[in-house]
Amino acid sequence: MQRSPRDTKVSLAVDLGGLAMRNPVTTASGTFGAGREYHDFVDVAALGAVTTKGVSLHGWEGNASPRIAEVPSGMLNSIGLQNPGVAHLKEHELPWLAEVGATAIVNVSGHSFDEYVAVIEALEEAPVAAYEVNISCPNVDAGGMTMGCHVPSVEKVVGLCRAATKRPLIVKLTPNVTDIAEIARAAEAAGADAVSLINTLLGMAVDARRRRPQLARVVGGFSGPAVKPVALRMVWQVAQAVEVPVLGMGGITSGTDAVEFLLAGATAVAVGTANFANPCATVDVIDGIIDYCEEQGVSDVNELIGALEC
Amino acid sequence: MTTLCNEKAPILVNEEIGCNIWLMTVEAPAIAGGARPGQFVHVRVPGMDDHILRRPLGIYAADAEAGTVDMMYQVLGFGTERMTALPLGGSVELIGPIGRGWQPPAGCSRALLVAGGVGSAPLHPLACELAAAGVEVTAVLGAGTADALVARERFCAALDCEPACSTDDGTYGRAGFCTPLVEEALAAAAAEGRPFDYVACCGPEPLMRLVAAMAAEAGVFCEVSLERRMACGVGACLSCVVDTVDGKRRACVDGPVFPATEVVW
Repeated sequence: MQRSPRDTKVSLAVDLGGLAMRNPVTTASGTFGAGREYHDFVDVAALGAVTTKGVSLHGWEGNASPRIAEVPSGMLNSIGLQNPGVAHLKEHELPWLAEVGATAIVNVSGHSFDEYVAVIEALEEAPVAAYEVNISCPNVDAGGMTMGCHVPSVEKVVGLCRAATKRPLIVKLTPNVTDIAEIARAAEAAGADAVSLINTLLGMAVDARRRRPQLARVVGGFSGPAVKPVALRMVWQVAQAVEVPVLGMGGITSGTDAVEFLLAGATAVAVGTANFANPCATVDVIDGIIDYCEEQGVSDVNELIGALEC
Repeated sequence: MTTLCNEKAPILVNEEIGCNIWLMTVEAPAIAGGARPGQFVHVRVPGMDDHILRRPLGIYAADAEAGTVDMMYQVLGFGTERMTALPLGGSVELIGPIGRGWQPPAGCSRALLVAGGVGSAPLHPLACELAAAGVEVTAVLGAGTADALVARERFCAALDCEPACSTDDGTYGRAGFCTPLVEEALAAAAAEGRPFDYVACCGPEPLMRLVAAMAAEAGVFCEVSLERRMACGVGACLSCVVDTVDGKRRACVDGPVFPATEVVW
């Protein structure tokens, strides 16, 4: 049975750097396909937005298996941005999202500066509400996190993407840096309308008995409830360092988790790994935010953003 | 494609049926009503919140009338260990029915089903369906030891004859692996002038690779059911990909059953 968020008098709409969201909940790229995979469980049009799986210009095959490992309160993945290329997204997935009335954020990936720009250019006529520039994937050898760790490359890729589109531009940051506030400021200075964080933490799991890594690529991205304290801390730091809004994510499984991110300074949140255990996690999180607001006498969810008292 | 459900399923049966192999029967009418042979369910085991992923289990039986689903599981790790402790009256949460099931060729008249260990589970509904359709079915079941041949009686009942069995330790049927039985069955059918037109295999990957090679040698269409570490179970996360001649494909929704010739072993 397909679920939608429950009715409420609480005003849930937020503005994420020019992207109008009907509520502050989207999906974390790579955990939700292009939305269609979860439409039997939740009405994807009722979400604040659907953020699609990272897309490159031509298809990428991704990494060898095993690609995931379960670890306490979380998981590791090394998918490696497998995707069929931007033409497939444009021809098959985005029209479907538009038809059901969903708001689409496209996560843009590339192996080179030029590839990011080419992906955006390929999508400028397509029904896309915003782009999320992925300079934070830890599972590829070129592009991804390699571009998101140094101020000059962040400035360059964000500047090039900025010049390629007038649509809202979100830049997704990696937590695998010494000072994430510095990277966020660089993205803002180069024209980002919003920043999203955190991508996964670089991690590793070992099978002691076999003396082998659990992932074929040895290392992978760590996500799930275990990373939430790190994500909250970084969202709080970044929200204080930049003027642009923050899309917060990392271990969110409930409405309370989401409210914690809003209080720490996020304007909106994304649900990722939680979708795997609970295919209705996105709607449960929205309902949980509504519950909180009603209980606390909050009439507009915007009142919560950055309202942490400390 | 059938609609996927996420059903809270009360546990009706949860008992050890062989060495370290358990049967769980749950009430899940929507999944039971829609399931096709070879599909699976993705199980959320309660009471293990620090283990965040579901466990994929093949559907051993789906009774649309009774609204029940049977799952066979081997205790291999934390999740399956935890499942053994779940009481009757409790419940699990199932996503299902998932995936591309067995697709015997149209007009199939004689089929060979080969199961290794708990690979017998997803083959059992196929045996029932083929037998009901009047297909002549031969079953080969292999296991480590007699106590692990847990599906033998159900295959007997479905096919109205004893399946050919082997055990690694020789405690039941032929001693050793089941591959000689497969070879003999293929040869006997060919010698009769009525060769098999379908082979379906589920079990350890080395077994499936060998059986696929034997079927190819005999010129018989063969399908195998593959297993991978899986996160979402609905085709979104790309964790469970299988190397195929068409590139990396998802075991969950493009499989779990693949034509053997499409698999890059």
